[in-house]
Amino acid sequence: MSTYLRLVWAIARKDLLVEFRTHERLTAMGAFVVLIGVLFNFSIDTALVRPQDIAAALIWMTIIFGGMLGLGNTFRLEQEDGALSGILQSPIPLDALYLGKVLGNFILLSVMVALVFAVFGLFFNLRFSGNPLTLLGVVSFGVVGFVSLTTLFSAMATRSSMGESLLPVLVFPLLIPVVVYGTTATDRLFAGRPVAEVSGNLRMLLAFAIVFTVAGAGLFRFVIEE
Amino acid sequence: MDRKWFSRWTTALVLGVLILQASPLWAQAGTVLGRQTLGRAYWHVFAAYAIVWLFVLGWLISIVRRLRRVEERLGTE
Amino acid sequence: MIQRQIRGAVGVLGALGVATVLVLHWMVFFWVPTESTMGVVQRIFYIHVPAWWIAFLAFGLVALCSAVYLWLGDERLDRAAVASAEAGMIFTTIGLLTGPLWGRVAWGTWWEWEPRLTLALILWFIYLGYFLVRRSTVNPEQGKRFAAVVGIIGVLDIPLIHVSVTWLRSLHPQAVILSAENPMNLDGSMGATIGVGLLAFTLVFASLFLARYTVGGYELELDLRDATSGNTQGAEA
Repeated sequence: MSTYLRLVWAIARKDLLVEFRTHERLTAMGAFVVLIGVLFNFSIDTALVRPQDIAAALIWMTIIFGGMLGLGNTFRLEQEDGALSGILQSPIPLDALYLGKVLGNFILLSVMVALVFAVFGLFFNLRFSGNPLTLLGVVSFGVVGFVSLTTLFSAMATRSSMGESLLPVLVFPLLIPVVVYGTTATDRLFAGRPVAEVSGNLRMLLAFAIVFTVAGAGLFRFVIEE
Repeated sequence: MDRKWFSRWTTALVLGVLILQASPLWAQAGTVLGRQTLGRAYWHVFAAYAIVWLFVLGWLISIVRRLRRVEERLGTE
Repeated sequence: MIQRQIRGAVGVLGALGVATVLVLHWMVFFWVPTESTMGVVQRIFYIHVPAWWIAFLAFGLVALCSAVYLWLGDERLDRAAVASAEAGMIFTTIGLLTGPLWGRVAWGTWWEWEPRLTLALILWFIYLGYFLVRRSTVNPEQGKRFAAVVGIIGVLDIPLIHVSVTWLRSLHPQAVILSAENPMNLDGSMGATIGVGLLAFTLVFASLFLARYTVGGYELELDLRDATSGNTQGAEA
């Protein structure tokens, strides 16, 4: 069991190290997040709409669009350098490979999400009066679900001739529960509503995360095999 | 022999459905329904039925075309 | 030979399907009374509900065949999945087009984010993903596997999507003149007509599904033959 976990971490660590040295994905995602905030600012007429009212929606949309940008590259390195056949020949169980990728992506995306909240909090003058731990839970579960689905499909998209442009088409319809539960929970938390009103959403987000991480781990070998 | 049998049935099916498409028009002509509320141009109903049969026919035709292509390939072997 | 039986089945089901469709049309346009609250436009329901039913039946079949295909690797399951997916896509499109036609009269707008219509839209995109992913790979075998994965993930997500959409809608009670969820005073003859509609669509679906499945089999056989005939050693492709 511990070897398995160590393998998962080894994969995640490798990806994170690569990212740490090259800063490719983080830079792209970071710049994107800030610029989207800028564009939103210009697209919302503050005389008619209070940004605070739609903050949750803007935040989650940015997380998803920005996330797509970074997650599409999950398997690019392996694909380009032909490292994939090497990994496939190693005795690493494929679901461990998947979970390692998911973990790496989750950590990466968590950094981006923190940036999103910081940027949007700054740009739109957002005040948070709710329970921060609950918000952390909502966002974490939502991001796990998002990442597990997108990592699985990213493996497919990398192998296809359409490449990363296929990814949103495949993933966006499937993300609806995350968007629904994530935004309403975030909205309520920002409005200072009690945690009890959000617990249902938390449960659904957790369920989503579990279902698709397990499904992804199980189905990954069909997607990665030659 | 099998091929002729298959295409005979598919032709029958196609003709049958084509005839069916005309049926809403029969409904309009002097029936109880025709006298009722059809005055209020509920073209929506007929559009809906037409859509159904167009799509189903379309699929049928695409299957028949695939079959024709298969037969051609068999013929050239 | 099984092929012959399948072809026989296609013919029988097709004929039965056409007959039932004729009966349905007679019932819809000549027999069933007009519904009290909605008027004539309610007649769209007699094909809208069956189209809906087939769209979901087909999707269930896609998911089932995909799962077993990944498990067993039998080509026939993938063929069944594809045939079912084509049917599903077509009937989902029908549902998406007939729904708004009904809705324009019943609700006053072409589009409403009501649970069924929303789910139809999502289902349509999942089907689209199924076909896109199938055709986008260099290796067709890989494409089939990818499509199967999409089918399985789709079937896992659909209930979650439905629950989330319904929940969201329940938060903001819509002032809907005619609720789509419980649209009509169903009297016996209307129930019977819908039943006939369901039967008609199921028969047509079954017949065309089997036909598509069989033709898919011929294509596969020919592809294999073409692949092996190019090999001078005569070894298996």
